[in-house]
Amino acid sequence: MDPLIVTQAINVLYGVSTLAVLALGLAVIFGLLGVLNIAHGEFVMIGAYCAYVTQAGGWPYLAALPLTLAVCAILGLAVEWIMIRPLYRRPFDTLVATWGLSLLLRKIAEAIFGLGYQSVNIPLPGTVELLGTEYPIYRLLLIAISLGVVGALIVWYGQSRTGSRIRAMVSNPELAQAQGISVRWLAALTFVTGTCLAGLGGVMIAPLVPVQPFMGLDYVLRAFFVLIVGGLGSVAGLLSGATAIGGVDSVISAATNAANGYFAVLVLAILFLWLRPRGIVARG
Amino acid sequence: MRAASIVVLIAVALPFLLGQFWAYQLGLYALYAVAAVGVGLCWGQAGFLPLGQALFFGLAAYLSGLAFVAFADTPIIAVLILPFAAVAAGLLAYLIGILVFRRSGESGAYFSMITLALVLLAFQIATSWNSVTGGFNGLKGIPGLPGLDDISDVYYVSAVILLAVLAFAGWLYNAPIGVLWRALAQNERRLQLFGFDTNQLKAVAFGISGLMAGIGGAIYAPQQGIVTPQVIGFGLSADLVIWAAVGGRASLFGPVIGTLLVGSLTAQLRDSLPFWEVLMALFFIAIVLVFPHGIAGLAEPLLRRFPPRKRKQTAIVTPGDEAARPPAKLALHDVSVHVGEVTILDKLSVDFEQAGIFCVIGPNGAGKTSMFNAVSGELGAASGSIEFGGAKTSGLAPHRVSALGVARKLQIPSVFAGLSIADNLSVALWSGRAGKLALLDPRLRRWTSPMLNELQSRYPFLAAGARKAAELSHGEQQILELAMALLTEPRVLLLDEPCAGLSPEETAAVMALIRWAAQRLGGAIIIIEHDMSLVKELAQIVYVLHNGALLAKGSVAAIRADPAVRAVYVGGEK
Amino acid sequence: MSRPRLTFENLAGGYGSTTIVRELAGAAIAGEVLCVLGRNGVGKTTLMKLLAGYLPCARGRVLLDEQPIATLDPSARRRAGISYCPQERPVFDDLSVRDNLTLMRTSRKLAPFRRYFDRFPILERRLTQHAGTLSGGEKKMLSFVRGLAEDQPVVLLDEPSEGVQWENILHMEALIAEKKAAGVAFIVVEQNLAFAERIAERYLIMDQGRTMLEGSRSEIERSRVLEHLHV
Repeated sequence: MDPLIVTQAINVLYGVSTLAVLALGLAVIFGLLGVLNIAHGEFVMIGAYCAYVTQAGGWPYLAALPLTLAVCAILGLAVEWIMIRPLYRRPFDTLVATWGLSLLLRKIAEAIFGLGYQSVNIPLPGTVELLGTEYPIYRLLLIAISLGVVGALIVWYGQSRTGSRIRAMVSNPELAQAQGISVRWLAALTFVTGTCLAGLGGVMIAPLVPVQPFMGLDYVLRAFFVLIVGGLGSVAGLLSGATAIGGVDSVISAATNAANGYFAVLVLAILFLWLRPRGIVARG
Repeated sequence: MRAASIVVLIAVALPFLLGQFWAYQLGLYALYAVAAVGVGLCWGQAGFLPLGQALFFGLAAYLSGLAFVAFADTPIIAVLILPFAAVAAGLLAYLIGILVFRRSGESGAYFSMITLALVLLAFQIATSWNSVTGGFNGLKGIPGLPGLDDISDVYYVSAVILLAVLAFAGWLYNAPIGVLWRALAQNERRLQLFGFDTNQLKAVAFGISGLMAGIGGAIYAPQQGIVTPQVIGFGLSADLVIWAAVGGRASLFGPVIGTLLVGSLTAQLRDSLPFWEVLMALFFIAIVLVFPHGIAGLAEPLLRRFPPRKRKQTAIVTPGDEAARPPAKLALHDVSVHVGEVTILDKLSVDFEQAGIFCVIGPNGAGKTSMFNAVSGELGAASGSIEFGGAKTSGLAPHRVSALGVARKLQIPSVFAGLSIADNLSVALWSGRAGKLALLDPRLRRWTSPMLNELQSRYPFLAAGARKAAELSHGEQQILELAMALLTEPRVLLLDEPCAGLSPEETAAVMALIRWAAQRLGGAIIIIEHDMSLVKELAQIVYVLHNGALLAKGSVAAIRADPAVRAVYVGGEK
Repeated sequence: MSRPRLTFENLAGGYGSTTIVRELAGAAIAGEVLCVLGRNGVGKTTLMKLLAGYLPCARGRVLLDEQPIATLDPSARRRAGISYCPQERPVFDDLSVRDNLTLMRTSRKLAPFRRYFDRFPILERRLTQHAGTLSGGEKKMLSFVRGLAEDQPVVLLDEPSEGVQWENILHMEALIAEKKAAGVAFIVVEQNLAFAERIAERYLIMDQGRTMLEGSRSEIERSRVLEHLHV
């Protein structure tokens, strides 16, 4: 096979799978709780900065994981309690509040680290031969981890007890309460899961992108488009959206330039909003 | 008028009071303030949040800059082109609004995210399109406005523009369209049921805000001499929202106060106090969560000491209706509605007479409210059709159905709680009578009608125009909503449990009102009711719904005797 | 055996500013069924929601074994010992029948449901199906079994027989009788008078959010009940 085509194909796979993981956190919060957390990208940023701090402190890269989880969990809990819970029935106010949060997190990052780009070293450098072409090991690892995380989540959500209870709470919160599910706690847990997943995504991509306070905007928009195109509230929606957006972006960016790729994604999202607002996999 | 003259005086005196440096700063920030007023219009009035206003500011700035560079020898031409740059920005905003609002429904999130995406895209284009925009370094060496060399001249141009935009905004907020925007922000669905195209209203608001941002941007280019991608970037967009919020988004001067105070302070303190911006972010969150009126809200108690002089305003009777619309029959043919796997309406066929009082009864889940929702266009029918006066209404948007003469009173009292009683009634009066351009005329706020006079004599509290509707008791809100429905002089009036939660005296009053209305309007009044004493008193014909279909129809006595109805109400072995 | 488990006094409440229920009082007595009857819109479901904790009490008290529970949310009331089967949306459509039954149980074993499956074999046949595919009556049966199987001392049922075939209604009557013998207290809202007559020890007949008629079934003539129920 033509090595160029192999490389491009793996690139597309890489784009789609990392997009799926990066969108996962927002899918959980927006799809299940109905809350658009505009600060989603900033939790990705927090993950990336945690990776930077870990590396700057001389610790092994994997140490970034517990650090990120701790920060995102504590912050997620605090945010859910202060901002999200009081505003569950007021989606517009939630939007404004999370926008304020994203602003705050960006400014804090700016104050601590400055506006400049930080770079994080790739923990597994080098390439490996694959199907007649050389491909970076780290990217292959990310593909594997992304597919693994998404797969594990599908299984867990569909089969586990807690997954069933979350599904119950989402589809019929009144009945869930009648059966003794403390919706408040479960909703907080779901929110924190979303923020931690975002942080995890940040740790994963930190070595491959410039780490700077404004990096989150791109991710929250892309994640949002994945959900518009794919459809809210189902894993099938997340995957089809990630494939559509990630695929279009990768292909067009490779063929022309990044700005065109972005433009194509935007056009696709608006088309879907116009013609099929509930997405490819419309739920219910 | 007094307030306005004070403001103008201050504006004129500022450069002398503060010196050249501040005059320059304020001259710049006044242009940002113009854009911030637009944000205030969208957010504080109409209730949606634009996160990418710099798109319009920057677009106009680049267009204007290019014009001034191209016509450097004949700057007069550039000055003539200047307004078109602003208008282009406004048009773009309007188009985006039309495109997005029609599809995103009432979800503000989709709109906000799309504006965010657009401004990021614009920034990318501005940074990379070197040949036109000068890329990252921007468009340089833009000649200034002809004949203005002094720094204070620059300031005065900005000040005049800002004051003009404020006057324009003030006029809009005071005009009927301002009232409609505020009503929209509170209860969009309700406003649609009065026949107003809310998507169009929002798009117009966004378009005007784009125009305002464009005006600021268009002046910015010749004033500053350079246009870099920062003016079309996320940072400025974010700042505009913050300044509008901190200053007080719902007030006219709030966004200006926010921009001038916070904006210029930030420029000064940003470098010396690294945590200044973090503080501002916290402050923004606090304002959003706890104190939405912002700085302008602090001034409120002060302003209450200077109430505006009340001019005696004579009421204007609504222009007569062109031939009063003839009564019409409402009919549903085989209407089926499904939500997921549940069938809500099951081949429902009902024919209502064109005049009289009719009651719809049936067990919970029979589909009564859903039938009303289908008629008013809020619930799409999977099959079947709905006709009103011989014209097919199924498939029409709610505001179009309302415009045909269908009025509704909802199950849960839905008036515009944040608006005054007078404004609530005005919205009802304008429904179906005020043309698009008339919505810009403040005189419409003085409209009254013979029906309104009659209602006000029956219910004196309706005349206490300045009171906020939220202050009314539950029963009074029910009556206000009913009055508003009656004021549209509909051909068919759909009432959903009009007496829910009312005391026996209030119930008797509402019943008398319904009988009077039936006679006065001459159309059909269809009431969903559970209270059998009401049904017996009022209904000429009773329709019984069960499992989404019509079970029985007839007089109260006939219904009582019908064994099928009895089985539904009393149950038994099947 | 006849001590009141759940009592409500001078209860008033509704949705937002709309008051639906005024001055209601009654009790669920161990081993007995209190049947709440009345036409639509009189406030029966509102009463249930007040008792189950979904609506705040504007006035009055709700006591479980003499302890005030008005501040407890629905999940806390469940843990305190009240099972509730709502009238609308009685099951989780997205979950399987099995998941609906075992969601909050510690084990997913179905042995405790044997006696219920013997009476409603259709539920056992549809164990793996999504509850959303069940008919209206089947959903009500599923909800009924789930509620009773929770083995709580107080059970609130809102129109349990809606859409259910008569022979299954008789099974419900038998299961309720078994529970009554074990000392469970029931409050049941019903539209079906024939079913109400078979299970109720006491009636509470409502109109306009108030009590019109109340007392033991033997005291109240059928004709008076009919008067309040029919159109």
